[in-house]
Amino acid sequence: MRRLLALSTVVLVVVGWAGPPADAQQKVVRIGDLGSKVGVFEGYGKYQTMAMQLAVEELNARGGVLGHRIEMISEDDDTKPAPAVRKAEKLILQDGVKMLVGAVSSGATMAVMDVTKKHRVIHWNSVSCAEFMRTTKFHKYYFSNQPDSRMQANGLAKYIVDRMGKRVYIFYTDYAMGQSDARQFKTALERLGGEVVGVAGAPLDTKDFSPWFGAINQANPDVLFLAFAGTDSLRLMTQLHSFGMTKKFKLAGIDCFLLQQDLPAIAEPMEGFVQLAHFSPYNPDPNMQAFNNRFKKRFGVDANIMAGAYDAVMFWAAAVEKAKTFDADRLVPVLEGMCLDNTHIGRQCIRKEDHQVVMDMHLYQVKGGKNIPIAKVDGLQAIGEPMVGKDPLEGFTWEIKRK
Amino acid sequence: MEYLTAVLAPQLLHGLVFGAALGLLALGLTVIFGLLGVMNFAHGELYMLGAYVGLAVIGLTGSFWLALLLAPLAVALLGALTEVATLRPLYRRPPLYGLILTFGLALVFREGVRQVWGGDMRRILPPITGSTPLLGMTYPTYRLFLLAVSCALLLLLWLFFTRTRAGILVRAAVQDAEMLDGLGVNVPRLFTLAFAGSAALAALAGLLLAPVFTVYPQMGVEMILLAFMVVILGGMGSLGGSVVAAFVIGIAQSLLTLWLNPQRVAIAIFGLMILVLIVRPRGFFGREGVLE
Repeated sequence: MRRLLALSTVVLVVVGWAGPPADAQQKVVRIGDLGSKVGVFEGYGKYQTMAMQLAVEELNARGGVLGHRIEMISEDDDTKPAPAVRKAEKLILQDGVKMLVGAVSSGATMAVMDVTKKHRVIHWNSVSCAEFMRTTKFHKYYFSNQPDSRMQANGLAKYIVDRMGKRVYIFYTDYAMGQSDARQFKTALERLGGEVVGVAGAPLDTKDFSPWFGAINQANPDVLFLAFAGTDSLRLMTQLHSFGMTKKFKLAGIDCFLLQQDLPAIAEPMEGFVQLAHFSPYNPDPNMQAFNNRFKKRFGVDANIMAGAYDAVMFWAAAVEKAKTFDADRLVPVLEGMCLDNTHIGRQCIRKEDHQVVMDMHLYQVKGGKNIPIAKVDGLQAIGEPMVGKDPLEGFTWEIKRK
Repeated sequence: MEYLTAVLAPQLLHGLVFGAALGLLALGLTVIFGLLGVMNFAHGELYMLGAYVGLAVIGLTGSFWLALLLAPLAVALLGALTEVATLRPLYRRPPLYGLILTFGLALVFREGVRQVWGGDMRRILPPITGSTPLLGMTYPTYRLFLLAVSCALLLLLWLFFTRTRAGILVRAAVQDAEMLDGLGVNVPRLFTLAFAGSAALAALAGLLLAPVFTVYPQMGVEMILLAFMVVILGGMGSLGGSVVAAFVIGIAQSLLTLWLNPQRVAIAIFGLMILVLIVRPRGFFGREGVLE
């Protein structure tokens, strides 16, 4: 009996010591964060990671999702399609992520769409703007809560024609995002009676933009519309300013032109710049302030448009809880039409046909390095018809129609 | 009049600024070609090293001006060591050996920099900020400084090559190194010093242009193509030709952007070079027989 007691004690002690702690016993589900962590778009990639991390921490604090602790794995895609595809394959096949957010560059996101389609993984885009993702490249596992080129063009063009000037020069970054923005903006502007007096594209990561300035000066527009992002925007604005062109022309740009964090450093060149976006820490909207306070408390810095990546995780988690599964095929019908309330931009609803989130936006004007709201854009009016499988601008031409 | 001040004048200035800086880079290449009969493929990497060494000096001292002094010296020293250790044993071999060697050196320098500083783009802030009102337009003050410094250096180089004994010796070596050797001049030492000088010029151009073009390992590759065009167009081995060709390319490139996307201008410049070479195969001021 004594031997049995001793043996039992030994077994209990061994099992007790060798057993994992209670927390680690919880099952784990992984999600992937893919994007530019260094280089021209690193700001977006880093804030994407932070926004997702905040969502993951909040969800885990509430017990995770479907009884699973969420683990996030981040990868850098070098802002290029080929590495993005390799990293997406790694995240899905090696790490087994059930949902992937990314990439940052539209070209990389489109390339990753082939991977998520092949492996049937829920794919969220929270920053890439190109229109092709919800039209010609669309697949059923793809969702986006980033206002795309069409939404942005519809929101911006009217304000520009009504309030800033009718003669516009379009200068864009010459790859998927910029081309898409320029196409949509030209179309929207001409439809509203504006005149495009010139169009030019500069390669991604251009170091010196001054060779393009002669043609812009020659066209002498009222408004210079800029479809650039990241460090390209920083360099472009610094150079435009040093050539006196920020004072000569009125300036407007796309949603991701510059993050709020970049503005104070180039406050003077950016003064008066009109930008369409779905987030600004200087917007007094209670939802935006509430999100910004949580973000700032966690990371010590203001949030920015990458707040969308937080909502992406929240949408997925809500769908998983509702469908009681991580299986993408069963999550898609639950996500279609799903709405989230009280997000940073209020109510967000996923449109069934093209999985584009209907969300409001604001027009902001930079004053003293801060994005100050000047008008609200209704998401439903800006989103346009679903055009899955079709070129949204069939018959589009870059031709300049002189008036 | 407004077209002249708002459109043409800034474009001409762009062309002059770029042409002058390109001239500095191409001049070193021309000297080396004239002396060694070899197109130095590593010249672009010496230009890149100038910017990176400058970056390191600025990081340590915070002074761009000190970097402008030290970076060319450091790269000149590297150039001299490279010439003694690698190029000198190949002088009596066919030019192909030198070509392959410099191509290899370019790879070594580029990848070396990537190992030390990484592949990311670095910024060097211009030491002179702000803009200057000029003839009714606004032009960045640093670019005007760049133009002034490059022109002053080109003038000094002209004086060096025409008025100093050392400069005349280099020109003589370009003409006929064996004869110079026969006259008792230490030609190997001359070659080493000329190579070091050419490296210093490239480094200077690299650091001067860094605040405009930023700093990254590939920066030399992008510039060296244009520098080769300058050397060919100016006439292989012709110092004056290189300077003229640099300004021609700079201004042509700048003016063409008024009607063509700058990405297509590069193709047009190649077209221009082909045209000039068809009409005049030796370039603007090339010696007879070099490319004929």
